[in-house]
Amino acid sequence: MISRAAAPTVRHEPGVARRPDSSGVVTASDGVRLAYDVYGSGAPTILLLPSAPIIHSRQWKAQIHFLSRHYRVVAFDGRGNGRSDRPTDAAAYIDERITGDIVTVLDATDTDRAVLVGLCGDGVWRAILLATSRPERVQGIVAFAVGVPRLSPPHPHRTRWAFDDELPTDEGWAKVNRHYWRRDYPGFAQFFFEEITSEPHSTKAIEDAVDWALDGSVDAMIADADADFDLDLAAVEAICQAVRAPMLLVHGSKDSCQPLARAERLSELTGAPLVIVEGADHMIPGRHPVIANLLIRNFVRSLEEGEP
Amino acid sequence: MVTARRADPRGPSHAASQPAREQSRARYPDESGFVERDGVRTFYEVYGHGDPTIVLVPTWQIVHSRLWKGQIPYLARHHRVVTFDPRGNGRSDRPPLSEAYTEREMAGDIVAVMDATSTDRAVLVTRSMGAQRGLIVAGEYPDRVLGLVAGGPSLPIGERSGERDFPFEDVLATDEGWAKNNIHYWRRDFDGYLRFFFSRCFTEPHSTKQIEDCVGWGHEIGAETLILGEYAAGLTADETLALCARVRSPVLVIVGDHDAITGTGPAIALAAAVPDARLIVVQGGGHVQDARDPVLINLLIHDFVAGLEAKR
Repeated sequence: MISRAAAPTVRHEPGVARRPDSSGVVTASDGVRLAYDVYGSGAPTILLLPSAPIIHSRQWKAQIHFLSRHYRVVAFDGRGNGRSDRPTDAAAYIDERITGDIVTVLDATDTDRAVLVGLCGDGVWRAILLATSRPERVQGIVAFAVGVPRLSPPHPHRTRWAFDDELPTDEGWAKVNRHYWRRDYPGFAQFFFEEITSEPHSTKAIEDAVDWALDGSVDAMIADADADFDLDLAAVEAICQAVRAPMLLVHGSKDSCQPLARAERLSELTGAPLVIVEGADHMIPGRHPVIANLLIRNFVRSLEEGEP
Repeated sequence: MVTARRADPRGPSHAASQPAREQSRARYPDESGFVERDGVRTFYEVYGHGDPTIVLVPTWQIVHSRLWKGQIPYLARHHRVVTFDPRGNGRSDRPPLSEAYTEREMAGDIVAVMDATSTDRAVLVTRSMGAQRGLIVAGEYPDRVLGLVAGGPSLPIGERSGERDFPFEDVLATDEGWAKNNIHYWRRDFDGYLRFFFSRCFTEPHSTKQIEDCVGWGHEIGAETLILGEYAAGLTADETLALCARVRSPVLVIVGDHDAITGTGPAIALAAAVPDARLIVVQGGGHVQDARDPVLINLLIHDFVAGLEAKR
């Protein structure tokens, strides 16, 4: 015999599949504090890179618990979101600052070299920059949603509306606008992640990403958007061609943030294999974690076997 | 009894909305086959080898054995797992008489599948209406049941919400809400009924995939065969309580406190009526947690079976 009052209750709430073995905060050369986490103890180390300040290191929550069974995994919150500082001057977000942050975290965690895993422009492009400027620190790169700037024109919907102008509408991609961001940043985050996570059954992935966006600050987002970038196509291509580290490119056939043409071009420039995930949109690690995890693991295995 | 009126065995809405193609599976059966009782063939599958055998019992035939797709790959690593499609859906036959769909017949199929798969004894895992047929087997064949799991049991005992009390056969003035649980509406817009019903089964956020799966399985039976089942006898409250008193095996009752189909009443009443029960209430859980919260349910089943083993 048993009564309701005596019944144990199981909570139906999200937990964390794997908690870090150690965490820390390290200060970059310009004084910005960066929060990092270390999981597992295998070799090599996999460094999960930050994307734009719209999101933080929980974007890798579906990778960490799997990869850390096999490898040492380091993740950090990029400047502008999470537990890291949120500078609001555009100079804090130029490429050199972000690649500097990667080196700062590698040093803080006693990591001589690592396999870099990145998503979109902020992750992938900075991994490529680091692989060319500090090749001894980069064992390989897994690039999701290959967002190397300039390699192809952006999607037309991304250029229809000017970021800086006061627009006559707030509809659709007109929300990617500094004035709208100031008026309704949550509205932008909701729109943006719905657009770039267009697979069916993505409500949880969208909800998570919007929450992470709202952990950050619109001032950091605007500063990041205003950061200088003055390389032309030839300069970008030259940097890509200079990468010597093994690389794997993974792109969704329906990526509505980064054009597939950028991944195809990077593959041509580097000889890196390109895996196209049919039907996938932009957020492959979060939305298709099993595919992403196995691709990363197989890539790392191929490095160990010396046949990238 | 109702007269069968069926052009397509899968129902009139089948042509309008094709079932989804067979999805890939995390685990394929090691063995499958049919067992025949009174001319009705039941399709079963067997996975894995470990002891004891777990039989994943069909629930209301609005869905079939793929309902257990979140359990099979995990449980089959540790146990021999037997599933089967209920008469009326999946690859089992669709007998055209309502008498073929009584709880007694459903219980008979459990025993027949156990016999056909040389399963002397098993742990029965049920969901919703499956608790009725599970109780019949546990109460009447006690030496064949090692344990019974009743998730979101749908039983005619305990406190029930009156929200669903619309007459099934009347022509109603509304199609809203539970008024959709009506023979005329089923025949008019079975897809609309399935979408409504499963949206109430899965009250948890982020359930779009589970709803889509179940709606697809619902189209495999169609309105007319499901209607036959509506006229088949289920257990009465007295029969249920009498069976509960005869159950000799441990019983694990799991219910979500957001269950919008049965509420928590029948689960609480079941746990009170069987001699050896454990009741677990899942906060925020809906009616079909096997599909919606498989890790939680799998671990609860696994721990329950491990406890039975320890007692043996």
